[in-house]
Amino acid sequence: MLVGIDVGGTYTDGVLYGENKILQMAKHPTQEDDLEGSILSVLDELLQDRKASDLQRVVFSTTLVTNLLATGGGDPVAMILIPGPGLNLKQLEFFPQAYLANGAIDFRGRITEPLDQEQIIKIGESIKEAGLNKVAVIGKFSNRNNSHERRVGEILQNQYPDLDVVRGYEVSGELNFLRRAVTTYYTAVTRDKWTYFATGMQNALRLRGIEAPLSILKADGGTMPLDVSLQFPCETVFSGPAASVMGAFALTMNGRTAVVVDIGGTTSDLALILEGKPLYASRGAVIGGHYSNVHAFAVRSIALGGDSAVRLQEGQISIGPERLGPAACFGGPAVTPTDAYNVLENGSIGLPELSVRALEELAAQAGIPAQKLARDIVELVNSRLEASIKEMFKTWEEEPAYKVWELVNKRRVTAEQVIGIGAAAGAFIPSLAERFNCEAVVHRCAPVANALGAAISRPTLSLLLHADTRQQIYRLDREGIGGEFKASHLADAKALALSGLQEVAGKLGIGQYADRYEYFLEEQFNMVRGWSTTGKLFDVGIQIAPGVIDEFEGVQ
Amino acid sequence: MDGPGGGLKEMRGNKEVAVKPTGLVFFPAFDWAISPTHPEREERLLYTRDQIFEEGIMDLPQIRQYQPRLAGNKDIARVHFCVPNIEAQATEAHRIAAGGALVIADALMQGEIKNGFALVRPPGHHAMRVVHGNRGFCNINNEPVMVEYMRKKYGVKRIAIVDTDVHHGDGTQDIYWHDPDVLFISFHQDGRTLYPGSGFVDESGGPLARGTTLNVPLPPGTTDRGIMYVLEELVLPVLEEFQPDLVVNSAGQDNHYSDPLANMKFSARGYAVLNEMLAPHIAVLEGGYSIETALPYVNMGIIMAMAGIDYSNLYEPDYHEQKFREDPLIKDALKDVVGELTGIFHHRHELAEETRRTLGPMVRRQRRIFYDTDQIDENQVESLKICPDCPGYLAISSQAAGSRGRYNIYCIVIPPQGCPNCRDEAYSLYDAVRKQPPDAYNILYLQDRITDEYRHYDYNTREELTVE
Repeated sequence: MLVGIDVGGTYTDGVLYGENKILQMAKHPTQEDDLEGSILSVLDELLQDRKASDLQRVVFSTTLVTNLLATGGGDPVAMILIPGPGLNLKQLEFFPQAYLANGAIDFRGRITEPLDQEQIIKIGESIKEAGLNKVAVIGKFSNRNNSHERRVGEILQNQYPDLDVVRGYEVSGELNFLRRAVTTYYTAVTRDKWTYFATGMQNALRLRGIEAPLSILKADGGTMPLDVSLQFPCETVFSGPAASVMGAFALTMNGRTAVVVDIGGTTSDLALILEGKPLYASRGAVIGGHYSNVHAFAVRSIALGGDSAVRLQEGQISIGPERLGPAACFGGPAVTPTDAYNVLENGSIGLPELSVRALEELAAQAGIPAQKLARDIVELVNSRLEASIKEMFKTWEEEPAYKVWELVNKRRVTAEQVIGIGAAAGAFIPSLAERFNCEAVVHRCAPVANALGAAISRPTLSLLLHADTRQQIYRLDREGIGGEFKASHLADAKALALSGLQEVAGKLGIGQYADRYEYFLEEQFNMVRGWSTTGKLFDVGIQIAPGVIDEFEGVQ
Repeated sequence: MDGPGGGLKEMRGNKEVAVKPTGLVFFPAFDWAISPTHPEREERLLYTRDQIFEEGIMDLPQIRQYQPRLAGNKDIARVHFCVPNIEAQATEAHRIAAGGALVIADALMQGEIKNGFALVRPPGHHAMRVVHGNRGFCNINNEPVMVEYMRKKYGVKRIAIVDTDVHHGDGTQDIYWHDPDVLFISFHQDGRTLYPGSGFVDESGGPLARGTTLNVPLPPGTTDRGIMYVLEELVLPVLEEFQPDLVVNSAGQDNHYSDPLANMKFSARGYAVLNEMLAPHIAVLEGGYSIETALPYVNMGIIMAMAGIDYSNLYEPDYHEQKFREDPLIKDALKDVVGELTGIFHHRHELAEETRRTLGPMVRRQRRIFYDTDQIDENQVESLKICPDCPGYLAISSQAAGSRGRYNIYCIVIPPQGCPNCRDEAYSLYDAVRKQPPDAYNILYLQDRITDEYRHYDYNTREELTVE
């Protein structure tokens, strides 16, 4: 049996999956100040009549790190940047306590300016004087050569052994210094609090006799073992939307192009699945108002949900953005899209007669029949969703391409399905799908598809390899792995990327998925100096893409 | 995922005003090369990509990235006579490079951006009006394709193209030689010491457009200082007087001290200062083959300067100011050149009137044009109508033996400013030449810039096509 729990802003959802079906589901209000309690109360309800020892896997997604970042509740961190030539970072006010250090590395990983040891010691001293004990160190092109970052760490830890140092290369190795800086910084900010929370969860599960491995859902729709998450807390942001997308993915798995619409209480999250593959945000998740290099699905949130308040303003209907409470059919104070659905389609959500009464009251003010008002509301909801979905497709089509082949072969995509997720999905998805002239998919499990998504997602791992045959070196973008590269063919670089993937997957405890790899990037460049070829540069990307675990066999 | 919110704002006095971003098309054509070891190969913008991606500059609100599109046949026919046809000269890569400039032009004219940079390859500024093959790594001239599109679509009237490539922009010069509304200024390493061997002070425009082509040959070894001098003393005052609606930087990067094909001493920060002072509406990448030492930093410098981002921390790893002392003789030489060119520019109207009084009805020039990349020799005779009311129509006959065989073509150009008389006369000429026997020419072209109509007549098949 598998357990998946998704902590959302309003509700925490859980499912217990086994024998091709959902054996149990639970939905509890989320206690923002006690996420552990929220998760455990859902878990306890799921497991009431079951043996803890029958569980094979527990996965949860949580908003802890997102909340820490939103409320500024993390730890204060000093930032040491080693920028070298380029943007003048004195102008960028990203980080409250930032120090610029001398030293530079270029795009080929060559040291072009040495580090200044005395300067680092002085910076350490100022950090201590400021009363900080966490430091994030990040250098430009540290993904091509991390020796400056490592040396800064050594100097600081020699001089000030109680300083807690996070180095950029430990967190990410993709090209984009600013995004790596943001990710490294927020990793240092949230790591201790995340560790405290994760350890608490681990203990609570052990107390219940659960020995099954505990994993965390990431923003990219993959899972990571709990102990791995201690090193990468930022990967847990936006895992709620990822859970929904993976739920939609698991309930369809047909290789088609689909729009996923998760209609919540106050917001709707939109995502795209292109020919069976969930679409990633091209620039990474936005953390603390800045782009990071956390891989996340391209999710667009709009302030429009089943509980959004409907109002009349000078005879015009407006919906949202705020939620004044539950829908009128649940005793709420205002007409909502959910009530409009009850009236229009003879729905049975809550107490439909309350919906009718609320709509009649508002319709009387507008001087129109309640049926017309209901139709107008549903129409407005759908046209706003439709406009946002079209924008998402357009944005995807306008993604830059860097090769002639890519640009010439760009094609337009159209939705073949609209997949509805969330309790109110049944009410709106069919008419929305009509607008795209395609199929509506609202599975019975739609209300808890997010939790199902958490339960059945498999681990993901993505690695980039950069190899330089002239310098005979290679680097992986993970934890500074690298070494000698004596080969000269793309095939050799690909083989090396694969063995890197196998090794890293093994270390992360997800080795059984290492054979599900695919290459997503294969580039080679001849280096020509004078008029002869003197070497090659290879960039290879390999990944275990988002998918479902072997134990998932569909939902009856 | 939506980006970090909030547009770009700037304080003006005590008021916060919205500032438009700088548009950027980055198209490195990572799958296109002239030949595997040619300077114009896949690797050319690789390190530039690494540098600008690593800087994260495209994440900043000052920059908006655009995807290029493919320039259409009509976009190309507005500028070039491609032999034997457009498909033979404009590959997909060429269309994307030119299309990248068109995307920036649209974004500018539709008010989305304050300025823009088409960081594209392959380059174009050696491609002339008639194209028998590749010259100086160029087939299709990106800036004129863009400028003529902007004239047609947006009615832009007065244009200045400043060619900052180290090589003389002879293709662009050829295209605008007779056009008094397009000011073409090229500064480049002295043609006696570098390809294409032209671009001297006395090349100052056709009979009715004297003074709107200005060439500044720079002595080898000219540094930031010399180029700033030319900018301050010649380019900026001339622009001030010409009052263009549009300023384009034909932005080569091979004046750099590390460029392997030239001998100048310009720096990345020099390029940034140049673009800040020139303040072009649009920059389009041209040459530049110091792919590791110069391009990553020069491209950053141009982007930063155009976007108003502080570039004081931008420098090449091996840059030391002491290395770049300029020979005082250079300054003296430049002083003379600037003085002479200023004179020509100031007298441009009188020079044209003088021509109208003394020459006509047609003025001919005969030329040999060499295509270095494709080893083609072209013979060309160009006849310009000396018209009292307009820049005059143009008739060109051209012969060359390229890889596709020997072609003898005849081309007629009616300029956008053409008067009704010239237009009628040009059409009569077209009809007369068309009636010639099939062995007279292989192809006859008509470029009617007034109606935006482009004809292509094949003497062999007797088919006349209109470019769509």
